Parts: sequence; structure tokens; C-alpha cells
Amino acid sequence: MTNQTNVKLRLNNSELWGGVIGLALGGFVIWSGMKLKLGTINDPGSGYVLFYTGILMCVFAGAIIVSAVTEGGPTLASRWENVRWSKPLLLIACLVAFSVALEPLGFLLSSIPLMLLLLRLIDPVRWTLAIPIAVLVPSGMWWALKRLLLIQLPSGLFGIG
Amino acid sequence: MDTLINVAHGFGVALLPVNLLYCFIGVFIGTLVGVLPGIGPISAMSLLLPVTLSGTPESGIIMMAGIYYGSMYGGSTTSILVNIPGEAASVVTCIDGHQMAKQGRAGPALGISAFGSFMAGTFALIALMLVAPKLASVAIAFGPAEYFSLMVLGLVVLTFLTQGSMPKALLMACIGVVLGLIGLDSITAQPRLTFGRMELIDGIGLVPVVMGLFGVAEVLLNTEQAIKRDVINTRITHLLPTREDWRASAGPVGRGTILGFFLGILPGGGAVVASFASYALEKRLSKTPERFGHGAIEGVAGPESANNAAAGGAFIPLMTLGIPPNVVMALLLGAFVIHGLQPGPLLITQNPGLFWGIVASMYIGNVMLLILNLPMIGMWVQLLKLPYNILFPLIILFTILGVYCSSNNVFDVYVMIAFGIIGYFMRKLGYEPAPLVLAFVLGPMMENNLRKSLILSQGDLWTFVQRPISGVCLAFAIMLLVAPLLPSLRKKRELVALDEGA
Repeated sequence: MTNQTNVKLRLNNSELWGGVIGLALGGFVIWSGMKLKLGTINDPGSGYVLFYTGILMCVFAGAIIVSAVTEGGPTLASRWENVRWSKPLLLIACLVAFSVALEPLGFLLSSIPLMLLLLRLIDPVRWTLAIPIAVLVPSGMWWALKRLLLIQLPSGLFGIG
Repeated sequence: MDTLINVAHGFGVALLPVNLLYCFIGVFIGTLVGVLPGIGPISAMSLLLPVTLSGTPESGIIMMAGIYYGSMYGGSTTSILVNIPGEAASVVTCIDGHQMAKQGRAGPALGISAFGSFMAGTFALIALMLVAPKLASVAIAFGPAEYFSLMVLGLVVLTFLTQGSMPKALLMACIGVVLGLIGLDSITAQPRLTFGRMELIDGIGLVPVVMGLFGVAEVLLNTEQAIKRDVINTRITHLLPTREDWRASAGPVGRGTILGFFLGILPGGGAVVASFASYALEKRLSKTPERFGHGAIEGVAGPESANNAAAGGAFIPLMTLGIPPNVVMALLLGAFVIHGLQPGPLLITQNPGLFWGIVASMYIGNVMLLILNLPMIGMWVQLLKLPYNILFPLIILFTILGVYCSSNNVFDVYVMIAFGIIGYFMRKLGYEPAPLVLAFVLGPMMENNLRKSLILSQGDLWTFVQRPISGVCLAFAIMLLVAPLLPSLRKKRELVALDEGA
């Protein structure tokens, strides 16, 4: 790894950020454990294990931070070097849009556009193949689940499905 | 004699038409997910977990087990023909398997892989029949302290074997424990970390977590690069290895089988560790180690036998102690729990039909796999030509449906998508999901056993050290935690460290 991609005390050191997030999570778990009551060692309460797990999380996150500061680590940008970073981003956007649309639109009206987007946006499949797959696969699955396994998928505000 | 009677009883259960059908579906899907890169046994098992509800516990668990050991067979096909491992345990098969295929010896490579797998699978089953009942009778004496320490050891072994730094793996395990504790406290019924949401009262489901971390995150990672497949196009002939091939492979198959079986039993171990260990062993024992990496049949025979034997061995801790030694077994535990069954020392005596039925079905499944993987190899080769840009939207759709069907709850779909995104960033930053998932399953059991043993011992922490089995487990766990601090051991760990999640 070059000096450009392996940095020590810089804010773009990805290892440092991983450790900081771990430390924050650990702090939150300790606080939650204390709020739930620790109990005693003879009779541990609901927060007992959470509290000590939180402490362990802080210790391990601390070790990650120390190693990031002393040994350095790859920069955040280098983690996405030489890859098509926009593709997973597009996929994430499609999934988030799908999760927002699922309840109001129902399974069929949300999954057909999702499939079409995935087939066309990431590594485009030709339209003549993308459209039949996007329509037939979700419809076929919906039919099989509804008729054969008697599982009701979300039908949304329009009651389609 | 008792064992023979039990085995006969098991075959009686396994040979019921419905169970044969479920077994076939399991091994077929297992081979399918093994062959297809980008979807592994973990994703397939979590996808089909809800389907197990429709039949008897025997049928459902027979199918789930079939997916696991079936994927071990299927994974080798992709490794040999495409040089892309179908699942993590077949990574090492790529090295020599694909070289053999390039030299026009794809047939013997596939043949020895299938025969070696069959022999190893058979040995593992016989050993499972003999060892499991004995271990179960010993395990009855286990108290909460032993269970707690054994689970701690399992988690530490897995974090030790996981790729990347050990503090990262341990942090993941701790996060897994915390996620597992979300929901009502099993002792005081107090809600924990539910943030006032009713959906979280019962905790987060295993299926959405696993599907997100392994299924969706894997697809996100795969879309970063255009997957190019260099499928061997020549006709595959001579699947039966020659006498010379057999002579070269007999030792590796035998050693791989025994090594794999014992590594499979160890908590935290499994098929992936076994295949790597077997490859290293064969290379070290070989008089011509320079052939390894250039198409040595021993480099295919050993690891393929080891990963199948390990898949069989991994059933022992689950069936006898109720402790899943790896993520796949954690999912199988989920299938038991869905049917109201608790694997553990009493399972064999209370449900002999179930235990021996599963064991017998695994033998039948191995025979089915031999037929599926040798005469029908052409079908799997055709499947390998399915482009990934068509495959991944289907995987996404199936994961969404699988998660929704497991609970009939849209909230679980949100959880899966969230864990998919988290899992993607985790992997990008070098955090492996396997310790998180195993800790997620073991977390509630660990907490329960820890609190029980503290209550029973009136707060005496020495109880974990004074009880011999517990003490030994904790001593091993501490040794493994300290080991990476020593430079020589750190290097060794890096050599065996692996990506269990792929």
C-alpha cells in the first residue's frame, strides 16, 4: 500500500473511523445496560450482560483505534479504489426506494419496477429480456406463494396482489 | 447392536416418500447454490427456513441438512470449471482443480472430488452414529457453567480463524451478542433495546439478519466488479479417475476425511478451515510439493474430502450439546426451534426417530449427490453460463420473499435491507459478519447460562474455573485470545485465517 492510501493520524484513516464507531456503540450499550439495572453478581439484572459486553466493545474498539494510530491504515477512498463504487450505491438506492414503496404500493407494484431497475441499471440487460423477466418472475412468485403456499404478500393501498 | 437397530429405525424414517422428496430437494438446491457463485448455503438455508414449517420436523431438517452438505459437492464444480469458488469451502479447490481443467483433466478432477466427498461423507456419518450418542450421555452432566464456557470457546475459535484483525472480529462478536439480546429479557421479561417498537419485542429475527449480511451484502460487493467467467468449454469426459489418480488420491482422501471430521466437531471450526488445513497438510507431506498449484490431483482430493467430512462432523456439537459450531449450524438450530425442538443431550433419547432419521437421510443424500454430480454434470455446466447481471436481481427478489415469508412481516424486509447495507460497509472496512451471526445466535443462550450459573454459585466466579470442562474451555479461549500477540503465532493465524462468510 502506498503512502497515499496508508495513513496514520489522519481523519481519512478508515480503521480509525471503524474504531470510533465501535467505541460509540460500546458507550451506548454500557449506558443502556446501566439504564436497565445491573443487579448484583448473585442476582444479575437485565442490564448486567449488556453492561459488560459494552465494556468489552469499548476495549476492542480502543485496540482498533490504537492500532490505527500506531500502525496506520488504508484511507476511506482507497477502500473504493479501482471498483465500480456507483453500482452498489445505485443498488442501495433501489433497495431503499423499494422498502419505502413496499407497504403503500404492495408487492407486485413495487417489485416489478425494482427488478426492471436492477436489470437495466447495474449491468444493463437488453430491454427485450429485461421486461419479460421483470414482469414474469415477480408475478410467477406472487402466484405460487398466493395459490400454492397460501401466503398473502402485501397488496398495498390499491389492493393489487 | 443398539446402534444397528437405531440405524434401521432411521432408515425407516428417511425412506418415507415425503422425506426422500425433501432430501432430494435439499441436495438439489444445495448443489445449485454451491454451483452458483454469489449465493451460498447460508443464504439458501435462510431463504428456505420458512418452507420447513409446511412439513414435519424430520422433513424440514432433512432438507436443510441436504442444502448444507449438497453445497459442499456443488461448490467444487464451479471451482474446477470456472476458477470461482461456489462457496467458501471450495476456495482451495480452485488452485489445482482449475489447473487440471485447463490441462484437459476436468473429468478426473470432478470425479475425484465427487468420490472423495462421498467417501468422506460416509465416514463422517458412521462416526457421527458412533460418537454422538456417547457424547450426548456425557453432555447430560453439563451445567450452565460448562455451556457458557463452551460457547465462549466457540466464539473465540471463530474470531481467531476469521480474516482480518482479531479485535475487529471480537468487536463483531460483541455486537452480535448485543443484537441477540434485543427484545424481552428471558428471566425478568423486561424489554431491552426495543426503542418502543412493538416489532422488536420478540427480538430481531435470525433470517433477516443472515439474509442481509450474507445475501444482500454479497450481491452489493459483487456488483462492484464485472464478474467475468472463464468457463471451460471442452466436453467433460473421463469422470472416473484412472488407477494412477486413485493411487495418488487415496492418502489425501483418507487424511482429509479424518482431519476434516475432527475440525468439523470443534466449535468455531468447520468446512472452510478443514479444506485449507488439508491442502496445507498434503503439500507438506508431498514428495513433489512444487506440483501443487499446477494441477496436482492431491490438491483436489484432500480438501474436497476434508470439507465434506467437516460438514458431517459439525452436526455433533449441535445434536449432542445444542451448541451450533458455525453459522450454518446456527441456522439449522433455527429450524429445530421453529418446530419446538431443542437439540441437546436429550434429543437422541426423546426423539430417536428424528435424530436417526436425519443421520440416515444424510447417507441417502450422499448417494443422491453422487448421481447428481457425476452423470448430470452437463446440466450444472450449462447453469454456470447464466450471466450474473440476470442472476443477482433474482437473488435479491428471492431474499425479499424469503424474509417476508419467514414472518409475514414487512418490518423484517426493512431489517434485511438495513443489515445488507451495514454488511456491505462492514466488509468494505474489513469486518467479517460470521462472528456477529454466531454470537447473535449464541448470545441469548450465553447470557442465560451465565446468569443461571452466577445465581447457582451465589456470585462465585471461581465456579467457571473449578469445574474441569468449563476451566479447560476457558483456558483454551484465553490461549487463543493471547496467541495473536505473539508474532510467530500471529503469522500462523494469518495463514489459516479465512472468510467464513462467503
